[in-house]
Amino acid sequence: MSDNDLLENIHWLMDVLQNIDVGLVMLDQNYNVELWNSFMQNHSAKLPTDVLGSNIFSTFPELPESWFRRKVESVKVLRNSSFTTWEQRPYLFKFRNYRPVTGMTEFMYQNCTIMPITNARSEITQICLIIYDVTEVAANRLQLQRANSKLHIISKTDGLTGLLNRKHWEEGLEHEFKRHQRYQHTCSLLMFDIDHFKRINDTYGHPAGDEVIRQTAAVVKKCVRDIDICGRYGGEEFTVILVDTNQEGAMVVAERLRKAIEANTIYYDEHVINYTISLGISEITSGISNHTEWIDASDRGLYRAKRAGRNQTQIYNQD
Amino acid sequence: MSAILNMSEDQRDALQEVTNVAMGQAGDRLARLLDTFVVLSIPHIDIMEPQDIAMTLQSIDTTDSISGVCQGFIGGGIAGEAILLYNDTSFVDLARLLQFEGDLDEQAERELLMDTTNVLFGACIKGLAEQIDMDFSFGPPMVLGQHQKISEMFDPNTSVWKHALVTEINYKLEGYNVNCDLLILMTDESIIRLMHKIDYLLE
Repeated sequence: MSDNDLLENIHWLMDVLQNIDVGLVMLDQNYNVELWNSFMQNHSAKLPTDVLGSNIFSTFPELPESWFRRKVESVKVLRNSSFTTWEQRPYLFKFRNYRPVTGMTEFMYQNCTIMPITNARSEITQICLIIYDVTEVAANRLQLQRANSKLHIISKTDGLTGLLNRKHWEEGLEHEFKRHQRYQHTCSLLMFDIDHFKRINDTYGHPAGDEVIRQTAAVVKKCVRDIDICGRYGGEEFTVILVDTNQEGAMVVAERLRKAIEANTIYYDEHVINYTISLGISEITSGISNHTEWIDASDRGLYRAKRAGRNQTQIYNQD
Repeated sequence: MSAILNMSEDQRDALQEVTNVAMGQAGDRLARLLDTFVVLSIPHIDIMEPQDIAMTLQSIDTTDSISGVCQGFIGGGIAGEAILLYNDTSFVDLARLLQFEGDLDEQAERELLMDTTNVLFGACIKGLAEQIDMDFSFGPPMVLGQHQKISEMFDPNTSVWKHALVTEINYKLEGYNVNCDLLILMTDESIIRLMHKIDYLLE
């Protein structure tokens, strides 16, 4: 090959390296920049003349120095490439997103390969950084994660009230019951339903009924602690697991809730709706051997309250 | 016809030997980098079916204290995947080992896992590549079971391969609570090429 051909080859090779849409950086042993291709130029808004020969850490203070040196050290000793992905570190160089308007992320997510470069005697003379723009992948993945966590919430809650749905609430109940068996924590279950709910539906219509359910749930959330586990058990039936609470404590909560509902007036269209609830309580005692019996006991309390004339709370002791 | 099932005793011995030597070199490199003594088990070579791999990986889904990282390599018609399983490994120790400074949040833990994998696996496969005179490209390491359960990601019933040659090595680092198993998996297509290389050594 003539010198001319060789020059020609080097020329087009350099052209490719310059224009490839991947960042290429070469560093010497002292972390001074020896190559800065046009991808790096354009994204960093720094010209080769500003960067070449200068120390990478002083030019790019955002690069975590001790971490990066450690990475490069391992590359040198193992003579093996090392990687960072956007999930570990979103970026090595803080570049703006390629598409500032529709890009969805503020900066460019990067994967990076740190590669040893050897001379003819296979001594490591330089370190090459390859920077990949993976913003698209990262944005998609992050979106998927957000969608999944939304789905996760939807799968656990009841759409109308935002309380736990029955299936998920029952899992919580089972869990609490097991916890009680292991640690003998006091725990009470409160179950209530709306008095004459069918009449509300029939008189004011189902949308009004839905509003009653929604507001009831809102009152429940206000009356209990964050640690209590509230669920919508059925149509107009609600349940609350009162953690570390005995039946007397549960009675206080229940009465507070009952009075709050009694005092709550719902305005729906032209209707003014007042309503009450009946409540049943059961504390776990030795007579209750599984979580279904526990529900059953509260249900009996609720039934007693209904029989005794509604708008009241009854404790049921299973002994 | 499966190249894996048809490996001769000699080929298997040779592969075992090549791996032994590679691991010796890897141990040396690692000791120098990490400044600690690396206890490596003798590589164990085995043939596994998709079901076996699925069972091995199942522990990542079900046990909090087990994490896994995988990394692919390819070159000269040989391609494979390494899986590192960390058993009850202390992240505090991993951080100490890699001289990681900063808070050990979830992201830092992930980074430590990926870095450790790259270092351990890099040292090992580099030694292996030198033995058989090859040069491999590596993909970035990926933490398993992070976005998706492994049982959803890898279904043994629909996998296209039937047998994999698995080289298993256990690592322990003296003075650190770090214990992991490295599995290097290669499927039939790769074994044909690998055996050409091994046969060359046997001649």
